[in-house]
Amino acid sequence: MKRVNDAIVGLVVLVIVGALGGALAWVKGSDVGKRQHEVVARFHDVGNARVGNVVVIRGVVGGRIQGIELAPAGWVDVRMKLDPTVQMPKEPVVLLNESSLFGEWQATIVERSALPHDETVRQQIADAPHDGNVLPGATLPGIGKLTAVAGQIAGDVANVAGRVEVAFDDQAARELRSSIRNVSDLSKTLATTVRMHASDLDTLSNQLRTAIATMQRTVITVQGTAERIDSATTSKQVRDIVENLAMASSDLRQTSTQVRDLAGRFATSQTRLDSFLANSDSVMVKINRGQGSLGLFVTDASMYRRTDSLLVQMRALIADIQANPKRYVSVKLF
Amino acid sequence: MNPLVGGLSVIGAAARRLLATIGSEARFVGDVAIGLRDLRTWIPETTTQALKLGVQSLPIALFIATFTGIVLALLASYSFTGAVPLYFVGTLVGKTVMLELAPVLTGLALAGRVGANIAAELGTMRVTEQIDALETLTYDPVAYLVVPRVVSGTLMFPLIVGASMIVGVGAGWIASVLLLHLSSPEFVKGLRLFFQTFDVEYGLVKSASFGFAVTLIGSRRGLRAEGGAVGVGRAATSAVVYSAVMILVLDAFWAVTWLLGREST
Repeated sequence: MKRVNDAIVGLVVLVIVGALGGALAWVKGSDVGKRQHEVVARFHDVGNARVGNVVVIRGVVGGRIQGIELAPAGWVDVRMKLDPTVQMPKEPVVLLNESSLFGEWQATIVERSALPHDETVRQQIADAPHDGNVLPGATLPGIGKLTAVAGQIAGDVANVAGRVEVAFDDQAARELRSSIRNVSDLSKTLATTVRMHASDLDTLSNQLRTAIATMQRTVITVQGTAERIDSATTSKQVRDIVENLAMASSDLRQTSTQVRDLAGRFATSQTRLDSFLANSDSVMVKINRGQGSLGLFVTDASMYRRTDSLLVQMRALIADIQANPKRYVSVKLF
Repeated sequence: MNPLVGGLSVIGAAARRLLATIGSEARFVGDVAIGLRDLRTWIPETTTQALKLGVQSLPIALFIATFTGIVLALLASYSFTGAVPLYFVGTLVGKTVMLELAPVLTGLALAGRVGANIAAELGTMRVTEQIDALETLTYDPVAYLVVPRVVSGTLMFPLIVGASMIVGVGAGWIASVLLLHLSSPEFVKGLRLFFQTFDVEYGLVKSASFGFAVTLIGSRRGLRAEGGAVGVGRAATSAVVYSAVMILVLDAFWAVTWLLGREST
């Protein structure tokens, strides 16, 4: 009985351990007993790539990443196991990239000429060592980096939108509406003006046409006059007229010189008069303000009354002297 | 009695009981460790206990795992509809079953079955004085009765949980294909997407600690049974309760000490 128990337990243990081990190997994608060839690629950074991620060639899964190890001089080596049926492209390079939006990564083997038109990626490939046994590799930015950049852009846009919102408030909208209305009114006015000016231009062109006709007639008249002057220049009368004109102009020059001198004197007199008037004005202002003796005399009423009283008393004194001179004048010889 | 002295004596008595309990349990664990040295006594009994505690517990464990896998797949599809690709059902079923549900649900189920079984068996032996007879015959009851159970429980729990993982994920896979119309490659893609060997290691180590705790608590409760059938029943009940509590405490302990801060890929 005990032996049977042992056998049952042993069987169960073996079955479960075997099943668990097989399931683990299957889920991990291990290819036990399958001949594969190994490829190593060298990267600056492997992003979120992990052991077990698939290796894709021309869109088909052709293997898995078997190991990720740090290499000298700041490099990272990624070992990949590929199916023996996989044929590598000419000049192969390896790209590590996200295969979906949910954090899955994969290694993609492509031909160098099929690299994406990304300067960073091409630079990474160019920097990687070109060894026959180690493929150059580059890592494409993950969705995290892209969303971070997108978030930054969105933040900037929101910032700009916020500023626009601040700048373009209700007042600005009203002003803009008012400006549009003004432009509309202005365009209407302009249209009216243009219409009016169009009729004015018609009138003007008619007048111009009339003026041109008049000018033509005048030109004909001037032409006749010129012909007559031309015939007159042949006689002596013209020279006499010119000489008389020269004398008259000389007299006129002298007269104008005299007038200019007179005007200069007049200007000087006017300046002096202005100065005199300014001084007088200043004196009058002081008098009016009661400044100075004359000002006090003019503005002080009590002084006027005293002066008037003094004049009355002096007049009475003079009358008394005339009436009684001996009272005031005595002449003694000795 | 002075009320102050009375209050202090109550606190002192509680502290003394607590320390006595801790000391008693620690001494019991020490006895088990000492009993491990008596290989000739416990090794012949281990396979019998492994059969009883482990192999015979497989049906209930696999039954629980099957329905857990099915329900998880349906819950995942219900949660992911329209927002997340459906192949993530495989990811969720795999991660959840391996890391948490298979160890904990299996552990709770076995706490009822194994813990109560051990407590009732050893309790009956205690109240019928069979254990006293063993001691009279110079047998170490711990080495003969407890160590084989603890060893077999500690070893067999991870195996049962491993089988539960396989069955649970398989049930979720079948449910996804049959009920959710998810193709097998899609489910497998999701299952492999973030799979790590650590997920299985974590679940198995956790379940080993559960097995150790359940068998140890069941044995201790059974050996301390007294008062006839009522005492045996009380021992079985307390063994199940304490085992369930200890499983949840250990689950949190492993999560904090081993899972926390670990990067998931």
